[in-house]
Amino acid sequence: MIFLAMRYLLERKRQTLLTLLGVFFGTTAFVVVSGFFAGMQGYYVQQLVNNGAQVHIEARTDYLTEHGLDRDFFGPSPLHIFWAPAPAGVKGFINVQNPQSWYKRLDADPRVEAYSPTLSAAALFNLGNISVAANLLGCDPNKQAKVTTISDYMMAGKFTDISVGGNRIILGDELMKQLGAGMQQVVMVSVGTHPPVPFRVVGRFYTGSRGLDRQAFGSLPDVQKVNLTPNYINEIGVRLKDYTEADELARSWAKLAPERIESWGDQNQNIKSIFAIQNALRFSMIITVLIVAGFGIYNILNMTVNQKRQDIAILRALGYDTFDIIMLFFSQGLLVGICGTILGLICGYIVCRYLQTISFLQTSPSNPQGHLHIALTLKIYLEAAALALLSTSIASILPARSAGKLTPIEIIRQGG
Amino acid sequence: MGIIAKNINKSFGTPPVHVLSDISLDIKDGEFISLTGRSGAGKSTLLYVLSSLDDPTSGSVEIADRDITQMSSDELYRFRNQKMGFVFQFHYLIAELTAIQNILLPAMKFNEEVIRRPRAEMLLEQFGLKEKINRYPRQLSGGEQQRLAIARSLVMEPKYLFADEPTGSLDTTNAESVMNILQDCSRKQGMTVIMVTHDPDFSKLADRQIRLADGRIVP
Repeated sequence: MIFLAMRYLLERKRQTLLTLLGVFFGTTAFVVVSGFFAGMQGYYVQQLVNNGAQVHIEARTDYLTEHGLDRDFFGPSPLHIFWAPAPAGVKGFINVQNPQSWYKRLDADPRVEAYSPTLSAAALFNLGNISVAANLLGCDPNKQAKVTTISDYMMAGKFTDISVGGNRIILGDELMKQLGAGMQQVVMVSVGTHPPVPFRVVGRFYTGSRGLDRQAFGSLPDVQKVNLTPNYINEIGVRLKDYTEADELARSWAKLAPERIESWGDQNQNIKSIFAIQNALRFSMIITVLIVAGFGIYNILNMTVNQKRQDIAILRALGYDTFDIIMLFFSQGLLVGICGTILGLICGYIVCRYLQTISFLQTSPSNPQGHLHIALTLKIYLEAAALALLSTSIASILPARSAGKLTPIEIIRQGG
Repeated sequence: MGIIAKNINKSFGTPPVHVLSDISLDIKDGEFISLTGRSGAGKSTLLYVLSSLDDPTSGSVEIADRDITQMSSDELYRFRNQKMGFVFQFHYLIAELTAIQNILLPAMKFNEEVIRRPRAEMLLEQFGLKEKINRYPRQLSGGEQQRLAIARSLVMEPKYLFADEPTGSLDTTNAESVMNILQDCSRKQGMTVIMVTHDPDFSKLADRQIRLADGRIVP
């Protein structure tokens, strides 16, 4: 029957081409739009995943609620308690309790690539008359470089320069500009009400993200000293071998210790919901295109079934059964669908490759050419093919079934 | 053997209009039967019921000792393909296929087009269509189209040939050549031929004439 189906298709080239174009454009659009969105999302995820730790183990800091302390003061079932003023602030510890047990646990876990204990403190940086408040992060630079990509963004000096100790500091580009500091200059750093400590600037980094570029890095012992909290750390950043396991691992670790444990996904919930909306939009748009293409096939096949009633009659009389007739018309739709899908996938791929070469985004250190990020994953192509073939199948099976129901006698009696 | 019809009734619609009333027939193998009658007498309907294209409202049709009204649809399609040939007033050739492809269409159902090809070519030659083997139906004259349609009905060497006004849309010369072919099928090849016609001259060429009036056989 495929043979005859092909003859039918070739006999009305223009209609065949038009329906094929519908499927073709739908598939191409799916591949390109999906590649664009998935590529962009993947790029952001990579940025989030690589620039920071994938799992954060932080000192527990629960926020106090208005009635959060009622039980502690007034017994197990307090009623009608009014605070003036209501309790506020955080409850818990400012440091990670018993970090040694965490180190042991992380060293033993095969899924962990690297980890880095850090202490961050809100510090005031002074240079001459200028003072700027910024975050000062104490870390072991060798460990930190394994957990984050910070060392890739060094514009001057090396990230490991702070490891030798002796009050050395690396400043973000933004912070450096605000302070008007230069390399090897000494800035005064103070935390809280503690007396200022001199630090020498030995490096500058620029990531392109303003928040990150307003940070400063020092060695962990130096920062602990400035903060007057020797041996304290308030966060352990963890890098995993497979970042997609972050959520799961964070959940399981949370049961082991009182620390607050968050994955990179937990810390970027807003971006995840934006991705979800983008994906919903993408699918609804493409499905609309494919439904339109499906209607095209449906219409033309219905017309063909009507035009070919006499052929159906004689085929039935010659011993072709219902299934043969259904296949005769179904395969026409499917052939168009398959050709359109294959061409669409190829064309989509070519367009994606072309889009990759366009300088479209603002340039940044991580993307020096400003190229668009287009995903070329197999999943997109499989999804596109599945959707296109599904819509063409549904669009073809309905007219094909109605053709299968025609009996030869009805057609012959009506004189064709 | 042969075709045996018992008490066939056929009615259409509500309230039922009786097209065939209590028709019983016994057709022997190799017989050439003509069904005649005025238009609306039910002759075409009888032909379709006898040939399994239409179901009777009641009654049974036995062909070669098998009740075709009870056959499963698979069996029926195979039986139709292998044992029955159909010729209609209209040729029902498929416009997208060449003459030889049209003839081999019944053979394609069970992938016999290679085995049947010599016979198809022989039929084309016999019907004077040898040069038109790769022509499309629209490139043929009306007479040629009808002969092609007959060739298609004969390619599977059926035992039963059903013809519904095969000469209805042809001029005298072409009609006569079609009649010659049908007679040949019956006389030389021993096929059972059942032909509906309203032309009394052609009707007389049959071994037996069955006249219908108002859905009944009139002697």
